Amino acid sequence: MLGGLFFVPMLGLLGIGIALYRRNPRRFLDGPTEDAPLRLMRWAVGLLSPERHEWGQAMLGELDHLDGRIRRMRFALGCVGAALVLPPWGRAAAGVWAMITLAVASVGLYTSMAIHYRLGGGDWIAAAILTVFVTGVLIGASALVRRPGVAIPGLLGGLFIAVTFLALSGFTFLDQILPNTVPWHRLVQVIAVPFIVGAAGTLWGRDPVVGRRIARLAAITGSLGLFVYRSIAVAATGGGGPFDQDGGGTLRGTISDRLGNNLVLLAFTTLVFATIGWAGAAAAGRLLRRAPAPTVPGPITPNSETQQEA
Amino acid sequence: MQRNRPPSAQTINVLRALAADPARWRYGYDLATEVHLKSGSLYPILVRLADRGLLDTSWEPGRGSRPPRHLYRLSPAGREFVAALTAARADRTTLNPHNRWNEA
Repeated sequence: MLGGLFFVPMLGLLGIGIALYRRNPRRFLDGPTEDAPLRLMRWAVGLLSPERHEWGQAMLGELDHLDGRIRRMRFALGCVGAALVLPPWGRAAAGVWAMITLAVASVGLYTSMAIHYRLGGGDWIAAAILTVFVTGVLIGASALVRRPGVAIPGLLGGLFIAVTFLALSGFTFLDQILPNTVPWHRLVQVIAVPFIVGAAGTLWGRDPVVGRRIARLAAITGSLGLFVYRSIAVAATGGGGPFDQDGGGTLRGTISDRLGNNLVLLAFTTLVFATIGWAGAAAAGRLLRRAPAPTVPGPITPNSETQQEA
Repeated sequence: MQRNRPPSAQTINVLRALAADPARWRYGYDLATEVHLKSGSLYPILVRLADRGLLDTSWEPGRGSRPPRHLYRLSPAGREFVAALTAARADRTTLNPHNRWNEA
C-alpha cells in the first residue's frame, strides 16, 4: 500500500508541470524573460517584512545600477542572504522560532541516539543527510513564514496534519514503531488531510498563491513534527517491542532500522504533503475563480448618479 | 527592548568608511566595495545602524526608467558615536597592560 502511494507524489509533480504549462506555455518553453538576478532579488524583497520594505527597494535600486551578470548575481545572492538573516517581526518571528526548535530537535534526537547506541558509519551518513535536509527545509520554511498571512495558518495546518496522522496511527510510542496496517488510514493521512489543508489555505487567504504557501509550510511543519515524535518514540522505547528483522534482530540494528524508517518517512511525507496540499490549494483556487465576485457598491460619481437618475 | 551590544569589526569598518567624509552621501554598493563586504553582510549592518539612529538615509531620484537609489551617511548621533568609539579605543590602547609591559 505504502509502495503504491509513492506514485502519488510523482503524479502530483506531473500535474504541477501540466498546470504551469497551461498557465503560460510560452514562458514555460522559452524560459523567463527577466534576468535571473532581478527575479531573485524580487523574491528576496518579498521576504522582507512591511517595516523593511524600504530596504528591499534600496537593494533593487542598487542592483539596477550594477553591470555584469556575475556581479549582479553575487549582489542578488547576498541580498537573499540578508533578507533571510534580517530578523522577522511578529508572527513570522514566532514561526521561525517554532521551525528552528523542530529542526534542532530532529537533528539532536537523531545524533544523540546514534551516540547512545554507538551506531555505525551508515547511521552517521544518515545523520549528515538529515542535517542537510532539515537545513534546506528550514531555509524554505523561513522564507514561507515571512510571507503575509502564511505563518499562523501554515503552522496550524502542520499541527492538524500531524495530529490527524497520530490519531489514526495511534498516539502511544509503540504505535509509532509498529506498522499501521489499515489501508484507508494512509489515504486519509497522506491524501485527504493535506488536500484539505491546501484547499482551506486558499479559501482562508482568498488566493491560491497564499494557499500553496500555507500547504508547503504545513507540509514542512507536519513532517518535522511527526519526525520528532517518532524519534522520541524510538528513544523512549529503546529496544522495546518486537525486534526488526531488517535490523538483523539485534538491539543496535533495530534502533538503526527504526531511525532509518523515520528518515525515509520524513522525506516521503514532506514531499507528499506539499504536493497534495499544492493540488488542494490549486483546486480551491479554481473554485474561487468560478464563484461570482461579491457585488460591492462602488463609489457614486456624478456620472453614475446621472445614469441612475436616467 | 533595544540591545546595545558593542559593534562588530565589520560594523566598525562601515562606520569608519562613512566617517571618513561624514557629509558625503554614499551608495550601498560603493560602500560594500570599499569595506570589502558582501551585500548580505552590509545591508543588515546598515539596517541596524539606521534603527539605532546612527545613519541618515535618503533617496536619489531615478533617472529615466531607472529606479531611485538609496543613499547613506552618518547622522549627528552617528558622528558622536564614532567619535566616542575612537576615544574609547584610544583609552583602551593606553591602558592595555600588554602595551605597558612592552613599553616597560
